[in-house]
Amino acid sequence: MVKKSLLALGALLVLFPSMAFAADGEGPTTTMLDMGLNALWILVAGILVLLMQGGFILLETGSTRMKNAGHVAGKTIFTVGLVSLVYWAVGYGFAFGGDAGEGLSKFIGIGDFFFNPPIAASDGDSYPSTIFFVFQLAFAAVSLSIAWGGFAERAKLSVYLIFTLIFGSVIYPVIAHWIWGGGWLADDGSQDYAGSTVVHLTGAMAAFAATILLKPRIGKFNKDGSANEILGHNQVFTSLSVLLLWVGWFGFNAGSAVAVGDGFFGYVAFTTQLGAAGGAVAALLISWLVKGKADIGVTLNGALAGLVAITASCAYVEPWAAVVIGLAAGVLVFLSQQFFEKIRVDDPIAAMSVHGAAGVWGTLANGLFATPALVEKVGVGQAGLFYGGGGHQLWVQFESVVVCGAFAFAASFVVLWIIKQVIGLRVTEEQEIIGLDLSEHGNYGYPEALKKSGSASL
Amino acid sequence: MSKLHKEKRLLDINGAGNPECLKEIRREEQNRLVAVLSAASAIELVEELNELHDALIGRALKLAEIELARLGLGAPPVPYAYLLFGSGGRREQTLSSDQDSGIVYSDPEDEEDAERLAHYFRSFAAMVVDYLIKIGYPPCEGNVIASNPEWCLPIGEWERKLDSWFAEPSWENVRYLLIVADGRRVAGDAGLVERWHQRFHRDVQGHPVIARRMMENTLRHKVLVGVFGQLLKERYGENAGSLDIKYGAYIPMVNVFRLLAVQAGIAETSTIGRIRALEQADILTAKEARESMEAFDLFLKLRLLAAAKDEEGQWIGTGKLPAEKLNREWKTPLKKALKLGRKLQRQVEREMRYRFGGR
Repeated sequence: MVKKSLLALGALLVLFPSMAFAADGEGPTTTMLDMGLNALWILVAGILVLLMQGGFILLETGSTRMKNAGHVAGKTIFTVGLVSLVYWAVGYGFAFGGDAGEGLSKFIGIGDFFFNPPIAASDGDSYPSTIFFVFQLAFAAVSLSIAWGGFAERAKLSVYLIFTLIFGSVIYPVIAHWIWGGGWLADDGSQDYAGSTVVHLTGAMAAFAATILLKPRIGKFNKDGSANEILGHNQVFTSLSVLLLWVGWFGFNAGSAVAVGDGFFGYVAFTTQLGAAGGAVAALLISWLVKGKADIGVTLNGALAGLVAITASCAYVEPWAAVVIGLAAGVLVFLSQQFFEKIRVDDPIAAMSVHGAAGVWGTLANGLFATPALVEKVGVGQAGLFYGGGGHQLWVQFESVVVCGAFAFAASFVVLWIIKQVIGLRVTEEQEIIGLDLSEHGNYGYPEALKKSGSASL
Repeated sequence: MSKLHKEKRLLDINGAGNPECLKEIRREEQNRLVAVLSAASAIELVEELNELHDALIGRALKLAEIELARLGLGAPPVPYAYLLFGSGGRREQTLSSDQDSGIVYSDPEDEEDAERLAHYFRSFAAMVVDYLIKIGYPPCEGNVIASNPEWCLPIGEWERKLDSWFAEPSWENVRYLLIVADGRRVAGDAGLVERWHQRFHRDVQGHPVIARRMMENTLRHKVLVGVFGQLLKERYGENAGSLDIKYGAYIPMVNVFRLLAVQAGIAETSTIGRIRALEQADILTAKEARESMEAFDLFLKLRLLAAAKDEEGQWIGTGKLPAEKLNREWKTPLKKALKLGRKLQRQVEREMRYRFGGR
């Protein structure tokens, strides 16, 4: 057995150099191999990010009631389809188009509308632009699905359609351009590796605008201001959703290296895992300590908050800092959920806490924990406060959070306000009570469990 | 309260000719007690309130006996005793307690006699329960009530029933044992109740493991104080912000001292009485007993404060103390009392684990 293995090894050693020589002649060049590896990884990562939609479907459905299940789940498939077309036609061009003049390109990209890419990578490209498009599109779709949290269980289907058009073509692409597409925040050195701000805060702000304009669901708050608990109908869905999102997040963060290269994307995956773990653990413990019972919903949100927070910082921080960022996110999400309930904002999926509060924290955390070595490696911005960088990077991070958050909120608010004036945002009281499955689609997601006559007790 | 007033009240109650009169007396007396609630010691107040309840129930029994005789069923054919369980058994009824009751009567001579006695006492129990409803004591939701034939039995059958509960300590049977552990005679033959108690305590000695089962049965009511000493209030719904005094403070304390008393063979059923007896038996130190008494006094008071009047002027108790009634003055002693409750609960838990092993 040992003999055989040694023989095989010897044979390989003899063969391998000769194969390498052969490649010089007619096979792929090393740069092409490098490009191919990058392409393969980015496409896999893009697919992982797209699979996160499965997470959002389960998360939103599990956290809401049975009577809306089919609608909540199915509309995500529709809007992923719609945002793909919109992003292809317009959004990608505004985010990454390179035809704008120097002044204009600080604020918006122009070009590549109705994107018609070359069929293969050309010389010197580190990956095919087709694959980059697919990867970026998956991010836009994630941001949109985050926003839906604020619409859940009461918005009309038509509102989903109209808002997808605007969000996918303008709101998200503009922020993506500012930070990732060579816009003015990129010039300032804003660090947002995979999108705590670009993707998560943007989505959360849209959700916030929506929930303010839509007002709380029927029965969420009492006249005296106290809240009622409207429990989701399936905690198993919600738990599975977190696992799907967690796995998908490796595409989200590690894929954002957009290269295989020396394997740096592995480091990004590593800190991502630490952040998520910290969030889950801290959230369960804090809810247990404060409420006397360990809350499953908070734990699940804690894992997601850890992931959201580490998204901006995964490439910039040391392992211990990743753990701290995750732990803090887990505590933050618990407090944030209580805060939003106190100010009477009805957020069924906790989008504002998970993606908003944790997104802000993750982005700011760079200003504290970014190390000089990693900043040099990534090549964006400066080291954080705790690594001798002073307050500069923290200020830049603060600036991008405030500006992007304000823009996403204001733009979403204006768009939704206009929709509200023109066609209205919310279904009627009767429709809301019967459930959106019936009012918007004519069929229940759980037909056997619910009678079509629409009992008001649901 | 003056002795004079007490005597006058007793005269009034014993002179009342129908449940409506008794209801009126109850209303007046309860309003009088509520007026002095915040100033008085809760232990004394509850004592007095329960003397009132006992007198009212005693009179209702008399009226039912008279009414049955008038209907031609005659006087009670054999000695009987009327038992109170639950808060009534513990002499801890509030302004709005419901009826938890049972009847025990002498053994019949033969089968024919058995039927005759059962007929009389079932009619009697139905009449009493009905009267008490009229006086404003709602029936027990769990159907632990004299008008339920299962809780209206001759002493021999009661003994067999107790034995069977001890022999098969299922969740439900242990619940029954917890209920009867607080059983107390409110009126009737003392000898019967003595026999009944003796059987219960003999069975406890014969089945020491019952103590652990009793503890397990009550553990789901945790003392509502968190790791940081914070009050664990209701978070959602109409009672958001309120503290569940009944199940988060009072009941856990009741459970701890019931368990200790039952184990020690103490027949006393009121929690305060149990604490005193446990101190005398050297199971509690003087300091522990004093602190427990103070804490329990506070819980009793807050439990009374948690009561409110409904639209018809009837007292209803949610057992939940609204946020606005949780004033600053009480917050500190309440937290201290709750921490003591939590400590006692854990002590008992540890002791059971030590004696019977973990599970």
